[in-house]
Parts: sequence; C-alpha cells; structure tokens
Amino acid sequence: MVKKFKGLEKIEVELKDEVYKGIVMPNSDSETLFLKLESGYNVGINIKDIKKVKILDKKIDIKSSTVKVKHNKNLPTVSILHTGGTIASKVDYNTGGVVARFEPEELVSMFPELEKIANIKSIFVSNVFSENLRFKDYVNISKAIEKEIKSGVKGIIIGHGTDTMHYSAAALSFMFDNLPVPVVLVGSQRSSDRGSSDAALNLINATYFIANTEFTGVAICMHKDINDDTCLIMPALKTRKLHSSRRDAFKIINDEAIAEVNYSKNKIKMIKELKNEKGAWKSKNKFEEKVGILRTYPNLNSKQIESFKGYKGLVIEGTGLGHISIDNSPENKKIFNALKKLSKSCVIVMTSQCIFGRVNMNVYSTGRELQKIGVISGEDMTTETAYIKLAWLLGNYKKDQVKQMISTNLKGEINKRIGLEFI
Amino acid sequence: MIMINYKELGFKSGLEIHQQIEGRKLFCKCPAIVNDENEPNIKFKRKLRAIAGETGKIDRAAEFEMSKDKEVIYEACSSSSCLVEYDEEPPHELNKDSLDIALQICLLLNCKVVDSIQFMRKTVVDGSNVSGFQRTALIGTNGFINTSKGKVNIETVCLEEEAAKKVKEENNSITYRLDRLGVGLIEIATAPEIKDSEHAREVASIIGMILRSTGKVKRGIGSIRQDVNVSIKGHNRIEIKGFQDLKNIPRTIDNEIHRQLKTKNEEGHVRKANPDFTTEYQRPMPGASRMYPETDIKIIKITKKMLDSLELPELISEKTNKFIEKYKFSEELSRELIKMDIDFESYIHKFSKVNPEFIANVLVEVRKEIQSRFDKEVTIPMIENALGYYNEGKVGKDAVYEILVDFATKGDADLKKYEQVDEKEIEKEIKEIIHKNKNLSFGALMGEIMKKYRGKVDGKKASELLNKHLKQ
Repeated sequence: MVKKFKGLEKIEVELKDEVYKGIVMPNSDSETLFLKLESGYNVGINIKDIKKVKILDKKIDIKSSTVKVKHNKNLPTVSILHTGGTIASKVDYNTGGVVARFEPEELVSMFPELEKIANIKSIFVSNVFSENLRFKDYVNISKAIEKEIKSGVKGIIIGHGTDTMHYSAAALSFMFDNLPVPVVLVGSQRSSDRGSSDAALNLINATYFIANTEFTGVAICMHKDINDDTCLIMPALKTRKLHSSRRDAFKIINDEAIAEVNYSKNKIKMIKELKNEKGAWKSKNKFEEKVGILRTYPNLNSKQIESFKGYKGLVIEGTGLGHISIDNSPENKKIFNALKKLSKSCVIVMTSQCIFGRVNMNVYSTGRELQKIGVISGEDMTTETAYIKLAWLLGNYKKDQVKQMISTNLKGEINKRIGLEFI
Repeated sequence: MIMINYKELGFKSGLEIHQQIEGRKLFCKCPAIVNDENEPNIKFKRKLRAIAGETGKIDRAAEFEMSKDKEVIYEACSSSSCLVEYDEEPPHELNKDSLDIALQICLLLNCKVVDSIQFMRKTVVDGSNVSGFQRTALIGTNGFINTSKGKVNIETVCLEEEAAKKVKEENNSITYRLDRLGVGLIEIATAPEIKDSEHAREVASIIGMILRSTGKVKRGIGSIRQDVNVSIKGHNRIEIKGFQDLKNIPRTIDNEIHRQLKTKNEEGHVRKANPDFTTEYQRPMPGASRMYPETDIKIIKITKKMLDSLELPELISEKTNKFIEKYKFSEELSRELIKMDIDFESYIHKFSKVNPEFIANVLVEVRKEIQSRFDKEVTIPMIENALGYYNEGKVGKDAVYEILVDFATKGDADLKKYEQVDEKEIEKEIKEIIHKNKNLSFGALMGEIMKKYRGKVDGKKASELLNKHLKQ
C-alpha cells in the first residue's frame, strides 16, 4: 500500500491511535515510511502499523527562484569549474535533500558578493567525491581548463572535494607549462547548505585574489585558521590536508603561503614573490598507472614490497630521514633483497612520514645502503606530491630522465631552503 | 484587578517547556556544564550567512537577525567544549543516556514514541549555534497529563541541543559563550488547552515535577524554561519567554490579557517576561521552522524491546503522597524529604528504634535550623552518625541536636558529654535542686536541671521526674 509512493506526495496516514499528515520523503524504505510533518520534523513510521492512507496531493511543487546575472564589462571574468565536493550545494526544504548547484545564477544568489568582484562563468565538469578521482579525471579537468584559457578568462576556480584536493593540485601543476592564468582549487569542510559553511569565504576570497592580482599558476585557497576572515593562497605542490574536519585543515609543508586574502577588509597581502612563467603555454597530460605508495612501519613484511612487482614507480614513505627496515634480521633482509630486485625495473623514491622536513639518506647507513640499490631521495616533497610527480614523469619521460628529474625542482615541489615554517 | 472571564474572552494558551539534561552533552563527550567556572581560553570569530530556501525567501526571524549583519565572536573553555562545539568536527553518535531520558519522559507523559527518530537541522542564524542550526528530533507525540481542571494534551516531545549563551552585544559584533552549547534539552509542547492563567502555572508545575522525577535533569536557575503562548479572540498569538519563577506566570498572563484588550490586534511576536509581571517586545515570531535532515547522524529505530527495558521512575508526586499516607507527614515535610534525594526508607530500617517522624525532622528541620543558626553545613553523614548514637541508646533524643551542632561547628563531638545518666542519679539531683530552690517556678527549676544535664537526659523525661518529685 505504501510502496507505490515515489516521494513528495502529501498524505495522511492513520495508525491505531494517531494520525500523521505530511510529505512522503524519498528515503523511505520497505519497513519505514518517512514523513515530513507540517512542523518541519521528519518522523519514521513502521509501515506494518499503518491502517489507512489518504492522498491529499499527488506531488507538491518545488519552487525555485534565482537572481538574474548581468554582465559587468568593468569586471574580469572568472570561471568556476565544478568537479564535486560541497562548495555549491543548497537545501531543498521540501524534501530536506541537499542538491548540488552549478548554474551561475544559483552561485550568485548563494554568494551575492561574487557579482561585485567578477563576472562568473560556471562549468560543470563532474560531481564526484574526491576520493573517487582517477588520473583520467585529472585529464578531463585539464581539458576544461584549456578551454577556459582559450576563451580568455582572467582566472579559473576549481570547486573540489577536500580529501584529495592536494593530489589534484599537484597533478595540474605538473600538467601545465607556462600556465597563463591562475587556477585556484577551492574546497569546503562544512557543506554550503548551512549558515556556517566555510565555502563562501573560500570561494569569495579566491575570486577576489584572482580578480586583483597578477598571479599565474596553480594554488589552493582555504581558511588560514578557524576564524571566518582570512584565507591562505597556498602553493599547490607544498600543501597537504592535515585534519579530517577543521576548516583550516590544509597546511603548507616546507614552504610559505603565496598570499593572505581578506575580502571583507579588501586586503591581499602578497607573501611570496611572483615568478610568473613566460612563453607559450602547453600541457602534457599522460600519467603512468603502475605507480604506488608504500608506508613503512615496524614489523613490515617483505611480501608488501613484492606486491609491487611490475610497477614502474614506487614512493616509499619511510621513517625519519628516509628509512625502511633492511638490517640483517631474516625478514628485514628479505625486504632488502625484494627492494633491490624491484629497483631494477621500478623507480623508487623515498619520502618521510614525518611530513615536515627533508629526506636525507646520507646520515645513517640505512639511507646509504638504500641509495646503493637505487632508492632516490624525494627531498622535501610530500608523499602525495612525489607520487603524482612520479606518475606524471613516468607517463611523459623515459626512465633515465625520470630518475634525474624526480629529485630536481620543476614547479616548486622541492624547496632547497627550508626555513622555520612549521605547524 | 478586574476579574477575567477567560472563556468569554476566547482565552487560548499552551506551554512550551525546555529542560536541560544532566550528564554529558548530546553529540560529544563534553560534560554538560552550563556555566563553566573557568576563564575562556578559546576565542574565534565567525560570520553566519542566511541560507535562502527553495522559495528564495529567507525566514523572517532569520532576516531580522541578518539585518544586524554582525560578526559573531565565540568564547569557550576547553574544559566544557571541543571541536564539535566549534563546528570543526561532525557530531558524534547520539548520547544514549540522553535518549533514554527523553524516552522515559515520553512514557511518563503518556506519549506515543515515534518508530524511527531522525535528527533535523533547524536553521538558526542569530549566532547562538555555531553550526548555523540546532539539531532537534521529534521523539514523542500525542501524550497527556492530568490536572485539577482536566486532561491537557501533550502535542510533542523533542530532544534537542541547547544553544550558546549570549554574553555581549555591540554595534557590529555579538559575543557568545559555548559552555552550554550542545547540552541536551527536552522540549515539551502542550496543546493550547490551558483554561486560565492559574491553570498555566499548574500545568508548568506538573510537567516540571515529572521531569525532575527522572532524577537526570538539571536543577537550578535557567535549567528549565517555560514559554507561554497567549491569545484572546481576535488577537494573534503572543509568545512570552523568560519567566524567572513559575509563580509569576498567572499575573503575567493576566497582564498580557489586559494589554491585548487595550491594543488593536498586532502581528504575533515574542515578548519577554519582566520580574514586575509586565512584558516587553523582544522580536518577531519565527516563521515555520526551516528544517532539513541532519545527515551526519544515523536514523535511530525505536524497538518495543528498547521501550520495555526502560525503568520508569516513581513520580515525585507519588512519592510525596506515599510519605503523607504511610507516615502521616505534612505535605511540606514530605516534599522537602524528596527534594533531598535520599532513600528515606533505608533510614527507617537502619534506625529502627527511632520514630520515623523524628528522623524526618532531623533530616529536614533540625538540619536547616543548625545551618542557619551557625552558618555551618550539616552533612548527611553527620546526621547518620548522630541518629546512630541515639538508635544504639548511647545518647538521648535531645543530644542529637547538640551532637549535630558540635559536628557542624567543631567537626567532632565528645559523646561522654551526652552519655545518658542513670535515672536514680538524676532523681537524686532533682530532689536536691527542689530542696535548694524552694521559691522557683517549674520552668526555672527545669532550666536548672537542663543546665546540668543538657544532652544527657531527655527533656521530657526530666520534666516527668520533676513533676513527680514536686508532687511528693
């Protein structure tokens, strides 16, 4: 009797002693009917207890009204590419569902400040959780960027889920040479359907930064701290998500911010000197699929190393200055031999699970032994950046070139002079 | 004041009662501290945005707050808040103890508990919720309580989060403290079936008694709040908030009726109850609540097994009646005893040779008197010790008071002082006193005797003996 409801019907259900009137929610299952009552509350009702159902309205209308966006010829144009995540989602109070919104009108009605900063173009690329992204998605995003560059926009914002935003930022950094526009990745840790979302500040500050600076290249724009005022423009290759839920989850590793932006105070503080690349832009968008990451830990089993047989690249996230257990105890010896064998066909790069600081494989004998069998220092690259760099290099260059390029700074991924910056 | 004919005026009134729950907060493990004694060691600033719904319209109350366009400053103590309160971490699972309390209350109010509980986000943009919404769930519907003027229906029982407390408001900023944010709150709404202003007080008092009967709700100022909805024929509903005392409800309602009679029909709004029984305009009535599901919290199915396993507490009113019927205590003494939250029956077993009324009096009256006379605390263990000596026959009835005074003021009591004296010895002494003071009155003689034997002889006994020897 209840199964035939698709959702959004206004009904009245009669139970033994009670009568409930409300709108059928789409999440009702075979045992429970969820009704949104007039008070706004949702309640679950056991379907088997329902005595009678009366349909009051076959399907309620969902109204949607948005503002009209006018082109302002005095303002630059900024394209927002949507790849997923919670940057632009809105609540439908009739169903209680959260719906992603991609039309520029919707964006401007949600974030009216944008209209005063730039003309907004909004482009749908994909709508996926960032943990589901694959290399082919990076290629799709890069193609969308190319299209926008050609259309002559001042800059590009990429709305992105935060979980793997730093991987995507690294991928885009390597894929483009001489990027002529800013490409700023923006995420949010609190979805934009709520009044306290960090999406608005991140998006507005990113747009303001693009519209008012000459920066070109890839960056990430997120909260500086837990206050809703300042965002950091962070270097794409030196940034990592370091907290599962805070709005200032992204921290710069072994580097400093490009700029600090506070739209409400009309303030942009440039921190890093801009080194804009000159020359015609181009992109190389191939990635090697057979690249992996191995995090070492006490009592590691050699089978873990052996499982990378056939891989072209491996990033080992070692301990401390860049170590993995390779002494003479039986299992560790097996690990050493497996590594030695693997390194003949696979480029092995060492990073540190300390996250901050540089790998130095000269200090202890372990490091020196690893170097002897071909393990290359990842310098001060984060594991995520090293992984993306290795996959991109192996996709576009020969193995010998890769071995040389991996520890050479190409796009700012390696900082030869680390200062006192820490958490 | 003129007599009010409520029926003729079309008086309509219902209550909404909010009660804080003891224990831990609803969606994190922070203690449910309402006023943290520590200085705030955390401070941050936020900007809340009004989120327009599908109709493109922003809620009226929300708009009112937005028009202020203020920066919100939050102060917090790490002892009573964590990332969940700062909206920097999703809510943890619902506190099971709080759910049990809410379910108990539903059953005590004769409500039907919903089959599945879904927490909702109720949009709040005044800054009192860091997240921009209050988490709330409908737990029970269709209940009732019995009152002296008939049944009053309970429309809903909800379980929700307490909001942050406003501590400062300036031109362009508003400051909240986060101590109480997230403390569990039971919200009970009655049907608009209250008959008159005195009835409103009674209904509030009965519901308060039922809530306190669980023994798991907060006590003291601000831990329970009563909002009263009032309207008369031809007038919109007015909500009165902020009663400091239940006793103020009837006069405040009556004043509001007179105010409504004197004014033209206004738009419904919220008024603040003043201590002088008047009310003042506070803010417009919130529009229909904007709610959408809190997807960070799992839907909770309520099974029959869960409900059957709940132990329902004995109501305070039932306990009071039991004391009155069983021990013939006065209503006031019974109430005071229950307030003390002790197991009175166990005292009767423990001090089986002592009259129950005497035990009750020591626990309530004697304790109060010594405390106010010496400004020193009389603890339950002190009372247990003193009653124990009396029960074992080590001291007399009157010594109980003296021992408690010694305990409270000196921390110890010398029992030797109060050891019962042999009756023959006292009789001898009485004879002597009578002999020496032939001209003294009975009262003065008693005074002489008690001066010597205070605590060592029961006053009643001494007076009997004195009488006996005077007659001789």
